[in-house]
Amino acid sequence: MSTTLIQALLSGIASGALYGLIALGLSLQFGVMKIINFAHSAFLMLAMYVSYWLSMKAGLHPLLTLPLTALALFAIGYLTQRYLIDAIYQKEIAREPIGVLIFTTGLWIFMNNAMLTIAGPDNRTVSSPWNDGLLIFSDYILTYPQVASLAVSALATAGLVGFLKWTRLGRAIRATGQDREAAGVLGINSARIFQLSFAIGLLVLGLAGGLLLSLYPVNPFVGDVFGMRAFVIVVLGGIGSIGGAFWGGILVGVLESVGSQFMPVTYAEALIFGLFLAVLYFRPAGLFGVEKE
Amino acid sequence: MTKSLFGRGALTALAVVLIAAPLISGSQYILSVAIITLMFGYLALSWNVLGGIAGQLSLGHAAYFGIGAYTSTWLFGRLGISPWLGMWAGVALAILAAVLIGAACFRLRGAYFALATIAASVVLKTLVENADSLLGGSRGMEVPLLHDAPLYFQHTSKEFYFVIIAVLTAVALLVNWAILRSRFGYYLTAIRNDQEAAQALGVNTTRYKLLAAIISAGMTAIGGTFYAQFVMYIAPEIVFGVNFSVVIAVICIIGGRGTLWGPLLGALLLHPAEELARHVSGGMVGVDMMLYGLILMIVIRVQPNGLVAILKKISTRRQAAGKAQQYGTT
Repeated sequence: MSTTLIQALLSGIASGALYGLIALGLSLQFGVMKIINFAHSAFLMLAMYVSYWLSMKAGLHPLLTLPLTALALFAIGYLTQRYLIDAIYQKEIAREPIGVLIFTTGLWIFMNNAMLTIAGPDNRTVSSPWNDGLLIFSDYILTYPQVASLAVSALATAGLVGFLKWTRLGRAIRATGQDREAAGVLGINSARIFQLSFAIGLLVLGLAGGLLLSLYPVNPFVGDVFGMRAFVIVVLGGIGSIGGAFWGGILVGVLESVGSQFMPVTYAEALIFGLFLAVLYFRPAGLFGVEKE
Repeated sequence: MTKSLFGRGALTALAVVLIAAPLISGSQYILSVAIITLMFGYLALSWNVLGGIAGQLSLGHAAYFGIGAYTSTWLFGRLGISPWLGMWAGVALAILAAVLIGAACFRLRGAYFALATIAASVVLKTLVENADSLLGGSRGMEVPLLHDAPLYFQHTSKEFYFVIIAVLTAVALLVNWAILRSRFGYYLTAIRNDQEAAQALGVNTTRYKLLAAIISAGMTAIGGTFYAQFVMYIAPEIVFGVNFSVVIAVICIIGGRGTLWGPLLGALLLHPAEELARHVSGGMVGVDMMLYGLILMIVIRVQPNGLVAILKKISTRRQAAGKAQQYGTT
């Protein structure tokens, strides 16, 4: 393999890990509540602005904004599910939650345009010397933000998988996702679980937004660039499979990065969505999903 | 009986007023708002066949819209074929696409189906964006300007387009009405309510879903040609955009999916509301769409089944109140 190809592979893995992190929360919400959260891209945009303000106004190092942004997004997620989405969700819990889909669509349009009026349309970047730091090993180069994305994404994914597997609360979340009624019989308060899953999903998204800010300028519609990809990754990886979202993200990142060595970037996008359709056709449960029913 | 007759009369009167008002008003602005409103009503009615009556949540209808717009515009621009004819080539291609997309997506349910339809439309959009020499790539295509040429689906007066879209909308209403009261419609409703049960009763679910998709896609493609001829410019980002698919579905769901008047009602509320918001915001960027998003959230929060359900609730409450008075009970 040529040097350029391996370099493309490395960058692809780094950006893919971040895509996976963006998709993680969506996958969790999808798995537990079976809702399509169209506002996900708007929340990503919000996370980037929170990080941006934290580093510009409070002068924090880009990496130090991550935990704060994550906490802020956790709170926002909890409140959104508790006071806005839950009432609609409970009404249609037995069927396809179409109302929630429309509601989050409204929220998505609202948030994007609210940010447009507040912050204006300009692209903003955080200029930190850290952004330009390079990790060089033999012929290959990764920037510090790329390395951080890879590390944080891997750690966050592993952390979330562990949390869902080994903690009491994590098991309650999984049980609710698998069979709401049975979980209820066992004394699990499903409304509470929904609030927590939504909030945890946004917590992870907060980390992703903070990382993305070092790699990509923020504007009110920046989330939409990554939102569609997040949906693809969630389904590719298998809905509700947290590890699957991570690997699905890497797959998409590598396809995009290596693919654009051979064809125009826009064709690489068609390739990703084409692959997505093919996977859905042959493995409706996703690449890493477990066949159910 | 008299009540429903009265209701029907009131509806007809309302329809006549709504259709006549933009024509009489003489304002070109009101006329264009009315044209776009009716166009969205028409598209929502087209979506309703598959997304509402059959309950298949397609979020990729921009694919059919874009095919309709691009096919007739290409045939018009390159070969000089009138869009009145090119329109049917668009319908044929959209039906072909619906069959292909249906074959790939109909095994999927709910959210999975929705995402797969989005993906299909994105693939198509990307392909068009890259077809530089054939379709103008991401720059899009302009419709050749002929001014007063009704035979080429073109006229300087807006009244021309208004009449066409009003007729199209009426036809779409008729199609929905005919489906809703036919055996085919009952099958589709059965599929929406419980696909397994419908299958167990011997309904060939794939065949009927495919038929619904074909009708829905063909109608949407005609809407695409109308859009191209009215706006005179098309680009993949607009006519194949995910936003467009979402808007069409949202209008139908906000109005009341699976109902006859819901899709039209949704368009009548949402598009004028967007225009109004643009005025109220006084040109402040973003405020209009912010209000639009807010309206969406409020309507769904109040009634997830849409506006028609709200109206029904009001009318049954009034009827119940009338009966209570009649029998002297409270």
